[in-house]
Amino acid sequence: MMNMKWLEQWFEKIEPKGKWSWLGSTYEAFHTFAFTPKAVTRAGAHIRDAVDMKRSIIIVVIALIPALLFGMWNIGYQTAMNTDADWNWFYMWWFGFLRMLPLIAVSYIVGLAIEFAFAQYRGHEVNEGFLATGLLIPMIVPVTTPLWQLALAVAFAVIIGKEVFGGSGMNFLNPALVARAFLFFAYPTHMSGDKVWIAADLWGSDAIAGATPMGELAAGAMPTASALDMLIGTIPGSTCETSVIAIALGAILLLFTGIASWRIMLSVFLGGGAMGLLFNAIGYNDYMQLPFYYHFLMGGFAFGAVFMATDPVTAAQTNCGKWIYGLLIGSFAVLLRVCNPAYPEGMMLSILLMNCLAPLIDHCVVARNIKRRASRTSLTSTTSTDRKEAHNG
Amino acid sequence: METHNIIIKKGLDVPLPGIPEQHTVDLRSIDLYAVKPADVVGFTPRLSVAEGDTVEAGQPLVVDKRDPRLFLPSPVGGTVHAIVRGDKRKLLEVIVKHGNTGYAGSCSDTRQLSPESPVWWMLRERPFGSIADPDHKPKGIFVSLRDTNPLAPDLDYALKGREHEFEAGVKALETFGEVHCVKAEGPHPAGNVGTQIAAISPISKGECVWTVNAQDVANIGRWMLTGQYRPERVVAVGGPAAKAPKYYRLSVGACLKLITDVQLMDTSYPSLTSSTSLNSSTRIISGSPLSGTTVAPDGFLGMYDQQVSLIPEGDQYEFMGWLMPGLKKFSFSRTFLSGMVRDLTPKPLRRLAADSCPLTADFNTNLHGSVRPFLFTGSFERVFPFDIYPLQLIKACIVGDVELQEQLGIYEVEPEDFALCEFIDPSKTEIQTLIREALEVLRKEAIA
Repeated sequence: MMNMKWLEQWFEKIEPKGKWSWLGSTYEAFHTFAFTPKAVTRAGAHIRDAVDMKRSIIIVVIALIPALLFGMWNIGYQTAMNTDADWNWFYMWWFGFLRMLPLIAVSYIVGLAIEFAFAQYRGHEVNEGFLATGLLIPMIVPVTTPLWQLALAVAFAVIIGKEVFGGSGMNFLNPALVARAFLFFAYPTHMSGDKVWIAADLWGSDAIAGATPMGELAAGAMPTASALDMLIGTIPGSTCETSVIAIALGAILLLFTGIASWRIMLSVFLGGGAMGLLFNAIGYNDYMQLPFYYHFLMGGFAFGAVFMATDPVTAAQTNCGKWIYGLLIGSFAVLLRVCNPAYPEGMMLSILLMNCLAPLIDHCVVARNIKRRASRTSLTSTTSTDRKEAHNG
Repeated sequence: METHNIIIKKGLDVPLPGIPEQHTVDLRSIDLYAVKPADVVGFTPRLSVAEGDTVEAGQPLVVDKRDPRLFLPSPVGGTVHAIVRGDKRKLLEVIVKHGNTGYAGSCSDTRQLSPESPVWWMLRERPFGSIADPDHKPKGIFVSLRDTNPLAPDLDYALKGREHEFEAGVKALETFGEVHCVKAEGPHPAGNVGTQIAAISPISKGECVWTVNAQDVANIGRWMLTGQYRPERVVAVGGPAAKAPKYYRLSVGACLKLITDVQLMDTSYPSLTSSTSLNSSTRIISGSPLSGTTVAPDGFLGMYDQQVSLIPEGDQYEFMGWLMPGLKKFSFSRTFLSGMVRDLTPKPLRRLAADSCPLTADFNTNLHGSVRPFLFTGSFERVFPFDIYPLQLIKACIVGDVELQEQLGIYEVEPEDFALCEFIDPSKTEIQTLIREALEVLRKEAIA
């Protein structure tokens, strides 16, 4: 391996001291990015597991890459299909790459700048969490989202969604979904309808008309895309959430590494499927008669289940609570889709709602444990008095 | 006596290299011994000897200020060599130099285990892990017959030849309550007495149980049988930095200098040959690598310890460590290639694969990351075989909510029960310290 001694020494030389010591957080962020620190254990467990926050977060980022790469291609593919342009697959991907790059750059620059400023101001370390959040946000917006809107949404998400509560680990709403919800409610014309999903050209926010399957259903028609198209992801939609297969690849990595909770992921699909079947049984209108698995393929259901619902900070934290949380997200998302045409996409709202309820779910689960323990105490105290009485008698 | 065989499923055996070979070297001839009052929770020491005094084995060196019946005896006969104090004049060690071979106490045949016995300090009480309070009535006395800590001694081997002493010890303990001898199957922490209590008869508020190390049961038995205070333990010495991991027969409190001299003679081992190794020092831990105490090379065995772990210090940077494949890193998670390879190997082949292709992880004392808030959930539960929500209890300790700690079951745990949670924690929180501090607050309230 390369000898990095010179860089080690350079970092040790530039460590901010004295009047520069207020720059500590920024220094720590870059230093620990380059080197796993040489800090050793002080007490307790003298040896430690190799995993840390950076490693855990980078697994999430890697899991997003299949969906990201496919999403880039799909942006180009959608434009090419709708302009009759004769592009090869690589040019389609390149077109999408150039469309995505500014979105990703704006998200990271705005978000990290705020994160660094807050860390610096509060004197704590810069948390790695935004490395995932900052990539998630541009992946769930329409490709034509104006950059200034995205910048505003990111700033809102980081400040109101996270930092006001104390930063990473203290927030109760998923910051990426806060950004999406901000855009959805602040700029609805840019976030829904038929004219936002397909980029007209390489620059600017002009769009070509093209409806998503969910948009078509909300308008009272059956989706034109086949289930296979939706599975592969060659449909209009938010930039990187169309391909269920690419999302599944990420899901496999998240589940295999244990970074995401299989309980949540599975129960979201179970809840969504159950609600879909229930509507099939009612069968009041076309949307209700839609085969239940269509819900998994359309819109943000799969992406939300894999990457958003499983955010460990905002999800339920007890194993039992995770089942309840996931089932509620899945069933609520389908309920909202079918019964509330005003919001074509129920997944975002469903997850945000359950984010709010997650602490309550956990509270109830933990309360059962507390009650069980308390009853054990009263049980043992009565038996001991019984014994004493028996002894005296 | 009731013998339990229980099976624990949750947990983790950390595959530390340097497992001691079953060969015992008798080092009862070591000349320096220390009594460490700080190892005995709930004991406020008052010196009853001065430097230069002649003491007999079993004679009190320090007496508890709160309950003068309790004392810590000299493990050998000899002279008081030194009294070591730390910050705020806290009494750390009373060092005795082995001289004559006298034994204090009566040699009559009617001996009874009582607070006045020199072996009383070997009894510990839960909650709090403090020295057993003679006024309390334990609902049971628990003895673990298996130690599952990494590099821990095989207790069947350590107790070989002391069976009758062990039986006599159990008989003596039975005067205070039922003795539960537990043999637990499964990964660490199956062998922790806390795990076993939780599985058999969890502690509720207002209750207490006593625990004794299996080797100390034999020491109690020896005192019962002979009237002589000759406490000894077979101590496992191992770890990646140990030259020849094996067992040593030591008297309690022995100086470790002879052992560390031999075991650390040659400090070159693979992970230190890399270019970044400037500091080739080794950490000497009295106790488990997961919960023991750091001691100096000429330090002493802890009061309740039965293993010494030699772990290389890891004070080196690693370039882009969070991005590397990590074939030589150990992680309970599968976030490194090592864990993926491990868990993708079919179970029957794992042993074979481990033997033929040595992917032995480099273990050292590096923290492997920096301290962060809790983000991820769900992994503590996989190594924590209690009917307790670990993350919620830890958070209750962080905020100092005493009532919530009680409700969530803090009386059932000791810091060592959280050792594996601390080991696997990606946020690098010092969980055992948090639990200890919370328990100390509760203990002081309970006394007052």
